[in-house]
Amino acid sequence: MDVQERIKQQVTSHPVVLYMKGSPSFPQCGFSANAVRILNALGVKEFFSVDVLQDAEIRQGIKDYANWPTIPQLYINGEFVGGSDIMTEMYQSGELQKLLQA
Amino acid sequence: MVTPESIKHNIEQGMPVAYLSVTGDGAHFEAVVVSEEFAGKSRVQRHQRVYQTLGDRMREEIHALSMKTFTPQEWQEIQ
Repeated sequence: MDVQERIKQQVTSHPVVLYMKGSPSFPQCGFSANAVRILNALGVKEFFSVDVLQDAEIRQGIKDYANWPTIPQLYINGEFVGGSDIMTEMYQSGELQKLLQA
Repeated sequence: MVTPESIKHNIEQGMPVAYLSVTGDGAHFEAVVVSEEFAGKSRVQRHQRVYQTLGDRMREEIHALSMKTFTPQEWQEIQ
């Protein structure tokens, strides 16, 4: 299976998927830490996280998947939502909570 | 080293901007981009537009660029 297929499978088989550097308990970058903090603050206890530092193929492939060159990347129900900045804005405006409840 | 000026230059060359500021310390950068082009676009599309002006620099050199995007009207409202 090629990397784009692998990513597609990951984002469509879990409701909430976060591609990040490090793990939710030990994020390896401030932006990834911010993304985890937001999900935790919204009460999302269970989400599927992928540590791109552990998978070089995904680390490159994820940049093409949503035409988005940076990490973290949040997917909800298979749709790309955004990175750390967008998650912050959507959290502050209440949009992210709505999206998670839908 | 990546400078805020070089990032600013790429964005200015790549799209019309009404206001643009880029600050940073060589590792982490923050940009505020105000452009008419953002009208009617989602947040994701806006960021993609700015990333486009930076091309491969986003993948290779620039590891941390945080940004806020506004249309001129949105920008005026928060001033």
